Amino acid sequence: MQHFILRRIGYSLVSLFLLSLTIFLFVRLTGDPASLLVEPGASAADIAAIHRQLGLDQPLWIQYWHFVSSFIQGDLGKSFYYNTPVLDLYFQRLPNSLLLAAVAMAFSLLIGIPSGIMAAVNVGGPWDSIGKVFALLGLSLPSFWVALVMILFFSVYLGWLPSSGSGTFLHLLMPAFALGWYFAAAHMRLTRSSMLEVLGSEYVKLARIKGLPERLVIGKHAFKNALLPVVTLAGINLVVMINVAVVVETVFAWPGIGRLLYEGITFRDFPIVQGVVVVGGAMIVAVNLIIDILYAFIDPRIRLES
Amino acid sequence: MTVPALHTTRRGIISLSASAMLAGAGRQAAAAPSGTLTIASHISLAPTWFDPAETSGIITPFMLMYAMHDAIAKAMPNDPMAPCLAESWTMSPDGLSHEFVLRSGVHFHNGDTMTAEDVKFSFERYRGVSHQLMKDRVEAVETPDPLRVRFRLKSPWPDFLTFYAAASGAGWIVPKKYVEKIGEDAFKKAPVGAGPYRFVSFTPGVSLVLEAFDGYWRKKPSIRQIVIKVIPDEATRLAALQRGEVDIAYSIRGELAEEMQRVPGLSLKPAIGSAPYWLYFPEQWDPKSPWHDHRVRQAVNLAIDRKTMNEALTLGHSHLTGSQFPENFDFFWQPPLPVFDMAAAKKLLADAGFKNGFDAGDYYCDAAYANMGEVAINNLQELGVRVNLRPLERAAFFRSYSEKQLKNIIQGGSGAFGNCATRAEVFVVKGGTYAYGNYPDIDALFAEQATEMDINKRTAILHKLQQLAHEKTIYVPLWQLAFLSGVGPRVDQSGIGLIKGYVYTAPYEDMTLKAGA
Repeated sequence: MQHFILRRIGYSLVSLFLLSLTIFLFVRLTGDPASLLVEPGASAADIAAIHRQLGLDQPLWIQYWHFVSSFIQGDLGKSFYYNTPVLDLYFQRLPNSLLLAAVAMAFSLLIGIPSGIMAAVNVGGPWDSIGKVFALLGLSLPSFWVALVMILFFSVYLGWLPSSGSGTFLHLLMPAFALGWYFAAAHMRLTRSSMLEVLGSEYVKLARIKGLPERLVIGKHAFKNALLPVVTLAGINLVVMINVAVVVETVFAWPGIGRLLYEGITFRDFPIVQGVVVVGGAMIVAVNLIIDILYAFIDPRIRLES
Repeated sequence: MTVPALHTTRRGIISLSASAMLAGAGRQAAAAPSGTLTIASHISLAPTWFDPAETSGIITPFMLMYAMHDAIAKAMPNDPMAPCLAESWTMSPDGLSHEFVLRSGVHFHNGDTMTAEDVKFSFERYRGVSHQLMKDRVEAVETPDPLRVRFRLKSPWPDFLTFYAAASGAGWIVPKKYVEKIGEDAFKKAPVGAGPYRFVSFTPGVSLVLEAFDGYWRKKPSIRQIVIKVIPDEATRLAALQRGEVDIAYSIRGELAEEMQRVPGLSLKPAIGSAPYWLYFPEQWDPKSPWHDHRVRQAVNLAIDRKTMNEALTLGHSHLTGSQFPENFDFFWQPPLPVFDMAAAKKLLADAGFKNGFDAGDYYCDAAYANMGEVAINNLQELGVRVNLRPLERAAFFRSYSEKQLKNIIQGGSGAFGNCATRAEVFVVKGGTYAYGNYPDIDALFAEQATEMDINKRTAILHKLQQLAHEKTIYVPLWQLAFLSGVGPRVDQSGIGLIKGYVYTAPYEDMTLKAGA
């Protein structure tokens, strides 16, 4: 078991190293941040001065070494644009992202799981069709479009909800729906397929033969087992929601980490992009590591196979 | 040069005293600032913009500097270089020193009184993009008394005032004692200035809250609180304006601007910045290129339907100046206004030996302004000049442009500060960052003006330089771009467009809300 955990931790560290190297190189392919900090027409001397100031005049490997060594010490660098430590910016935005992700997740589970169960129980019936349409729209409609239509309808025409910003529960409703719909669709589909698999299993058939009421068969025997993969996916999705709600947070001017990433990309703020991506990646790697270890504890076959 | 001289005659003194009494009475009678005005900004606000020492060279930080800080001299309504914290200034006859007489009784937001030491300190701590240039040219800063500052230069520099007071943050004054006491980083978190609004709070990426400073020397602001909210998405900004969540929304363009005009209560406020756009022919110095023939460049100049482009893209608000130099810059020479004449253009092209037109290769532009390129390319196709649109991402475009990697046709533009001489240095004369070639007669004029201290002679030289650039059709100017913003029904004076060449709200102390708003 110890061997298994150590190996998993090793894989995680390698993943993080590759992620940090990839994002470090990729952001530098996007262009020169100095050109966005001066007006077109600035002299080469002006641009060189900014390069010196931002440390971009140093060789790439030195820049990478600074990035990694600082990261290990818990320092994500200083934002080019905000001239503020990236970690400070990250923690300023994190509560907003957690709040948005939590509400969006609650919404996606509250809609996705019951509709998935209803669809599985009534395969080919109207509930199944409604669920399929809901899932298809959620997965295919771009979130920026959903967000803009909601602003137009609920803010401009009806005047019910504030168009953007944060501060009250009303500010949260539209971004949470726009963000959660996609995940609700994913949860619905997974719940449906998982339920269908469980409902076709021998023990469910046995429960039915024994004459248990359908409510008990579905609620007690089938649902509990079908829920496992959904909960696993939801855990990973929560981390994804925190870190990649870029479009929704930008359209609704929601001050979360997704918007921080958007700002970093817009201004070629390398430390922000690197910091947000690596911290987000570290979260996902950590969640996966925990899940792997938990699975190994629950199911000895996994650690033995490994 | 002295600005402005007070006439110390008896009549002058009586007139001045009367004005002061009236101003004093006016100040006493002025109502206390009231109400809150909310501005939706299209761009995230950076704390570096709170500190004039960090001004990088883009215009956006001045959005905040006009509120929180004040300068020795700055652009104001009807005056591109209005005396502010300095009442007047003089240049020595040899051009080697500039002396500023400071306004007395000016206070910073923390109550400190502004002195010459603050001015010297602000200049010396400035580390923006023009820092090295000024350091190289300024020998010393002297403070003979608390209200007098003298800049001694290493050699005559006609553009000293342009760089010190307009093109950099060096002339924007911060309180020395306060900065030294709290430190550089803390200053960005709690900035103190001498502007009409004082800093209250800032949430990065979200909002900035400012409050009226009663002690502002020019006038007491009318609005108690200004909130600048960051709303990156243009459609969301318009929705917020429609709902009354914000009072001013910056940058509402194209179809959204048209829609805004249809909403009762909302108004469109265009402002012309300092950013002309143009077409440039980097191969005009190559005898084998069609662009070498002056008539071909002239044909393109006649074939561009700027009026239609303007109406389609900026609702007719951009200025068709016919120049690649900003009309609001010092030393601007107004060329003949551009004409759209496709028949004459085709004849010129035929005269140049291209009766059936020619394949002109690529048309490079900043992707953000590819919409202008689409219109221009349609006109060029009609003329017979066949080109492919090649929009490049902004940074890549300007890097390729400056590294002289682009060819055929370049659609360029610039909003950099300065005057017509600084603009020519970068775009027209030999060695310019964006100049792919040069003309010796223009270079000679540029060298001549660089040391000419007589303002009239220098103006004449720079006018001649622009005239030659126009006659040679080095550039085909498109327009001076209009920046469109929306204003809500509560606003009486938005401040947008009051200062020539500046696109944001200012002066903040002149902004007003409607009665009862």
